[in-house]
Amino acid sequence: MVTFKINDKEVQGEAGEFILQVARRYGIDIPTLCHHDALEPAGMCRLCTVELFDGRKTRFVTACNYPVWEGMAVYTDTEAVHEGRKLIVELLLARCPEVPVIKELAGQYGIDKPRFKGEQDDCILCGLCVRICEKMGNSAIAFSGRGVDMKVDTPFHVQSDVCMGCGACAEVCPTGHINLEDISAQKVAPIPSEYDMGLKGRKPIYIPYAQAIPNTPAIDRDVCMHFRAGGCRVCTEFCGVRAIDHTEQDETIELNVGAIVLAPGFQPFDPSKNGAYAYQRYPDVVTAMEFERLLSASGPTQGHLIRPSNGQAPAKIAWLQCVGSRDIHSCDHGYCSSVCCMYAIKEAVIAKEHAGADLECAIFYMDMRTHGKDFESYFNQARDRHGVRFIRSRVPTIEWAEGQQALTIPYTDASNRVVRETFDMVVLSVGMETPPEAARLAETLGLNLTEGRFLETPTFQPVSTSKEGIYVCGAFAGPKDIPQSVIEASSASAEAGALLNDARGTLTVAEEIPRERDVTGERPRIGVFVCHCGINISGVVDVPRVRDYAASLPYVEYVADNLYSCSQDTQEIVKEAIQEHRLNRVVVAACTPKTHEPLFQDTLKEAGLNKYLFELTNIRNQDAWVHKDHQDMATEKARDLVRMAVARVALMEPLEEYALDIHQKSLVVGGGIAGITAAKNLADQGYAVCLLERSADLGGQARSLFRTWKGEDIQARLNDLIDAVTSNPLIDIRVDSRIFAAEGFVGNFKTTIVSDNGREETVEHGVTLIATGAMESEPREYAYGDDPRVVTHTELDQRFIAQDPSLKEIQTAAFIQCVGSREPQRPYCSRVCCTHSIESALHLKELNPDMRIFILYRDIRTYGEREYLYREARKAGILFIPFSVDQKPHVEATEAGLRITVLDPLLGEEIAITAELLSLASAIVPSGDETLARFFKVPMDGDGFFVEAHAKLGPSEFATDGVFLCGMAHYPKPIDESVAQALAAASRAVTLLSRQLIRMSGMVAHVNPALCSGCGVCVDICPYGAPALLAEGPFSGRAEINPVLCKGCGLCVSSCRSGALNLRGFGEDQIMAMINEI
Amino acid sequence: MENPVGDIPPFEETPFLEEIPFYAKQKKIALRNCGYINPDAIEEYIARGGYFAFLKALHEMAPAEIIAAVDASGLRGRGGGGFSTGFKWQTCAHHEGERYIICNADEGDPGAYMDRSILEGDPHGVIEGMLIAAMAIGSEQGFIYVRHEYPLAVKRLVTAIRAAEAYGLLGDNIAGSGKRFHIKISTGAGAFVCGESTALMASLEGNVGRPRAKYVHTVEKGFRGSPSNLNNVETYANVPVILLKGPEWYAEMGTPKSKGTKVFSLVGKVKNTGLVEVPMGVSLREIVFDIGNGIPGNKHFKAVQTGGPSGGCIPEQFLDLPVDYEKLAEVGSIMGSGGMIVMDQDTCMVDVARYFLDFLKEESCGQCNPCREGIKQMLDILNGICAGEGREGDIERLEELGGMIQKFSLCGLGTSAPNPVLTTIQYFRDEYEAHIKDKKCPAGVCKALFHYEIDDSACTGCRLCALKCPQEAITGEKKAPHTIDQGRCIQCGICYEACKFDAVKVK
Repeated sequence: MVTFKINDKEVQGEAGEFILQVARRYGIDIPTLCHHDALEPAGMCRLCTVELFDGRKTRFVTACNYPVWEGMAVYTDTEAVHEGRKLIVELLLARCPEVPVIKELAGQYGIDKPRFKGEQDDCILCGLCVRICEKMGNSAIAFSGRGVDMKVDTPFHVQSDVCMGCGACAEVCPTGHINLEDISAQKVAPIPSEYDMGLKGRKPIYIPYAQAIPNTPAIDRDVCMHFRAGGCRVCTEFCGVRAIDHTEQDETIELNVGAIVLAPGFQPFDPSKNGAYAYQRYPDVVTAMEFERLLSASGPTQGHLIRPSNGQAPAKIAWLQCVGSRDIHSCDHGYCSSVCCMYAIKEAVIAKEHAGADLECAIFYMDMRTHGKDFESYFNQARDRHGVRFIRSRVPTIEWAEGQQALTIPYTDASNRVVRETFDMVVLSVGMETPPEAARLAETLGLNLTEGRFLETPTFQPVSTSKEGIYVCGAFAGPKDIPQSVIEASSASAEAGALLNDARGTLTVAEEIPRERDVTGERPRIGVFVCHCGINISGVVDVPRVRDYAASLPYVEYVADNLYSCSQDTQEIVKEAIQEHRLNRVVVAACTPKTHEPLFQDTLKEAGLNKYLFELTNIRNQDAWVHKDHQDMATEKARDLVRMAVARVALMEPLEEYALDIHQKSLVVGGGIAGITAAKNLADQGYAVCLLERSADLGGQARSLFRTWKGEDIQARLNDLIDAVTSNPLIDIRVDSRIFAAEGFVGNFKTTIVSDNGREETVEHGVTLIATGAMESEPREYAYGDDPRVVTHTELDQRFIAQDPSLKEIQTAAFIQCVGSREPQRPYCSRVCCTHSIESALHLKELNPDMRIFILYRDIRTYGEREYLYREARKAGILFIPFSVDQKPHVEATEAGLRITVLDPLLGEEIAITAELLSLASAIVPSGDETLARFFKVPMDGDGFFVEAHAKLGPSEFATDGVFLCGMAHYPKPIDESVAQALAAASRAVTLLSRQLIRMSGMVAHVNPALCSGCGVCVDICPYGAPALLAEGPFSGRAEINPVLCKGCGLCVSSCRSGALNLRGFGEDQIMAMINEI
Repeated sequence: MENPVGDIPPFEETPFLEEIPFYAKQKKIALRNCGYINPDAIEEYIARGGYFAFLKALHEMAPAEIIAAVDASGLRGRGGGGFSTGFKWQTCAHHEGERYIICNADEGDPGAYMDRSILEGDPHGVIEGMLIAAMAIGSEQGFIYVRHEYPLAVKRLVTAIRAAEAYGLLGDNIAGSGKRFHIKISTGAGAFVCGESTALMASLEGNVGRPRAKYVHTVEKGFRGSPSNLNNVETYANVPVILLKGPEWYAEMGTPKSKGTKVFSLVGKVKNTGLVEVPMGVSLREIVFDIGNGIPGNKHFKAVQTGGPSGGCIPEQFLDLPVDYEKLAEVGSIMGSGGMIVMDQDTCMVDVARYFLDFLKEESCGQCNPCREGIKQMLDILNGICAGEGREGDIERLEELGGMIQKFSLCGLGTSAPNPVLTTIQYFRDEYEAHIKDKKCPAGVCKALFHYEIDDSACTGCRLCALKCPQEAITGEKKAPHTIDQGRCIQCGICYEACKFDAVKVK
């Protein structure tokens, strides 16, 4: 450590440091033009010249490259220094009168017009470009000429082959003199950002996207100048924690595991393979992924919707669906990608939100597939409220004429006329495909792929592959959206958890926590740690000043500032400081408690302090980030915040956290496929289950279903499942039973069950799974009930199961879709019916290949690889006739058969079909009831389905802790999806059960019984039932808080008229102490 | 036939060398062998005591003793900086690493050729000096950085190195001692700035010769980042004599702070020009008037410029100044490498300053702002003054720029560059003012600022001027006063030189 003086103030620097480095650390401003932290100082601009007194005489030295030594005295702004700098600036202004950085400097020095002969240059010869190029390991440019003739140049003044176009020279040039095109022989372009779909550049060191995990930057070796030219390594110098190691190599890690979960995902289809849409030729033809980035606030245009060709706002945008999906002509993707219809609608709506309602959006589609929960109503809103146009047409090509701004789309409209319409932008709704490397992985593992090159899975084990112990989830097992992927992820973990149940807990390491130090009676000894957060805070706030200020506050015994307070080594420093200085309270002035408080609290625990003796004050998000332009005031605010935090923490007391045992039993409500599967998995994972079924038999709807779309026999599989749960000793099955009452909360439910024979019993359980399912509704149209030849899906399936011989005799059969679904009174899509009808139609064809079969539909929604079934049906000669909701088919029962009339839009005429069998795809309606919802405090939507915690990220659980959801109680779904969600719910439940106990926050309300008047307001007002009036003891009649039930919301505290209630850790005294410090 | 040597005086009347005024006050140490020996014959060098000092150092002296001797002699760098040679050697020896001995033979001052004469006349003297330094510092590799414009010096050096190697005085296992020392010659490409130590080393490394800040000294990190000892030719040439005759003998010569002798290149408006080696402390008057024998043509002495292009101009009032490092600095000039240009009444001091600044502008490396931009602007102002476009405030602007350049420049070239301007302003401010205010060049040099007139009373009408005038601008009847047609006159000065009656006047 070298101690010396700058401007008569004592400062410290490391040996080998230069004056400028130390001065800047102390916030002393010294102007520079040729300095760059990444480069060896060159001392060329001489602007940083300072006066140095060495004990005998004064010298002028450049601060950037003069090493510090003990006892020297530096003066950074004497008159001589100031005058000299001013003259240098004046000389540079004479040389470069138009360069902004020089003009600004001149302004600072009060120079209006140089007194010297002027020139018109824009290079100040600071040499940064030359030095950085050399640093890159390249030296494509250098100074040529001498003295007044010196200039930055390439050899022989021609474009250089040596230049790699890294752009470092232009990046460091302070004047804008560098023009890369003059230097580089190759075309210089930014590195395209993969995340921003090449619409934006990125750096060689980058975090792929803001939410990437791990969220640490990586070096792209292909473009990093160190790996290309051997030089640079600038990053290592800037990294404050020395985390960068260029010598690190990829390594092979061998792991011994009991199960593998494959989740390699998908890649979007690359439309440059599909020449027809001229994706690569016309910049205004973009993929949906590119469009997502254009809409994103973090995207290349900050969310401003523009045309890539000219940067202007588009007035009219078209989406073309099924690009790389349902297409076996220009690619081999016969499947439907499931998600594109929905995302196209979403993009259209958001585009209108961004650009205004005047933006015209049109979606060209074949079938609108909005089969997900709440999707259909979104589709309706897009059309009816937002005015998005939906045009049913497969667009053959995009036309573009030279000199023309717009893209023309020819298509046939509803009346079969060819229309040519122009658009400013066309978005290609690209589908999903399995990445080649994922397919290779499957091959390596010996797993079967489907026709669409997705991983093959059986319906009843939707996340199991053809090899035991290898599970799959997400789009690798077929195209799917986020909720379904999230469900499958949990399912895969449930399957792996069941497989490896014997090994549960064998690899866990118990955390060692030192005994908590008793700080009672000690006066507060507060440690304050102020964080630089790299430059996030210290770039604005004068951190050393805040630190020094904190030292002056009462009870503060120790202060420090850290580059990154959250880093591992800083945690050690904090720990040591607590022990060495016997601190009993800690304040960290850094970032947000939301993300970082638990970390510091753990550090306190490890240092033997109660974790509540801590306060995190946010001088980053709430100070440095929002007051960038007012540095002095930001520093002032940081001082205020620290002063308040110190005042509060001084009054902090150690708090106790209550732990609560979790009852290790589960209650599964509903004995259909979902309930059975969930119960089975919970038992397989070692947990006792009570499986409750309202009817006499397990199996639910599946009992009347014939075959899965993949051709599996449902009855056989269902019986296997039922056998498995009935024979499992951990599963307690209650049929003919329903819930009479339920109380309790997560970990400790008490549910009273009443059986049909009137027996009442209370079951204690830690978690609840709702799997109450759904059922087929009874149609009220198309002559259902009037004529036995009109049946529903399950009725037909039952005839299939019974192998009804009369079915073979049928000459003509018809199916009508959307019976009671997608209609104003029941707007949702029942999801399964299209596939079911096609599967049934194909079975009829199997029974009688000559049978004429018609399917009357609105949109065929054979999503994913179900599309192959649709293709097979068309191949088998099954005729599909679309109808619209306002022109529904008409059914009349006659002697000859069922006379069905419908308007064929292709012919434009009404056609009549006479059939002996009509199967109606009747809507699926939920069977859960409101009592159940009330018992477990879980919500239901307007359609009667239960509402999950989060549509995307929490699809199998409720917002209420300890209650989970699966199967059709959530939304209509086929068996594979029910099974997946049942496994997911079980998995989510096990994460809770396996913890065995839950800790409640120590910040709970507390009653001072001496002050309590026993009015009972707190008891009434508490939403959690935590306060109660004591029935006995000395304080009988006064309130008491059950700390386990208390959530620390403070409602009771604010409503207590006697001032008897106090919220621990948020006491009135603490709040007042903070307010008093403002 | 006439006896061709008939008018040679008899032998007795022929003076000894020491009796000739030019030589009488000189003391030859660095130049001890120049002209006395065949520089290509090592034997002749040895015959005059050459390499004895080295062998003494090699066999009888510990490195510390050599350094102590050099230190005790008070020898200071003859290249201009005047840094203590002994101390430099000691510091260099103190730093770890592969140490280098470098000889700066990049003599670039216009009109100065001290080093060249030594290299051409006594190359072994330099080699022996380097050898001694190598033994003292502990180096196995030396370099002589010599200008490409000195081909004879290079040739003589090559011959001398080969001869020394052949004699076992250079190379591996020197004189059976097991020690090694090699010398390589590197030729510079004509950049004045390469005489600056860090620029020289950069050039030696194969880089562009540009100086760097010397906050880390070259004795610690110099050539290739290793400890490097750089002295100039004359410094090394002094070393053998010091060891042979002893530091006390050497230290007896000179002034309290500047010991020994210094070679000067005495040129300009002085009768005897050439290299002179005098003990430190000799006055300027002795050099100019005793050794140089005064100003030719009965002209007045006006100033002497010392130290090369970036030295200062010393006026008549300081003629009795004893010449040493400190005294020269006191009057605003420098010792430099020993250039000494004498100026008479016909020298325009503004023009002199402009001339040197023009040289320095051409030779500035260009990397630091004060030197590159500052000299350019100073020169612009001076050009303006000389062209009669001087404005009020020009002198102050020059002083301001000069002061800043002295303080803020990166290397010695920059910090000393304003010296010619600043000293001429200091001592001849009236000349500047005459140029600016009166638009006159008193010395009649700046053509825009004077004209010639013929003094009627002095003109005899001899017609000589009219005959010689290339412009045919002079007219007049024979034996009657002539007149100059100012419209045609180009101020070439031929008439002024030609007139035998001083009738042509500068106005």
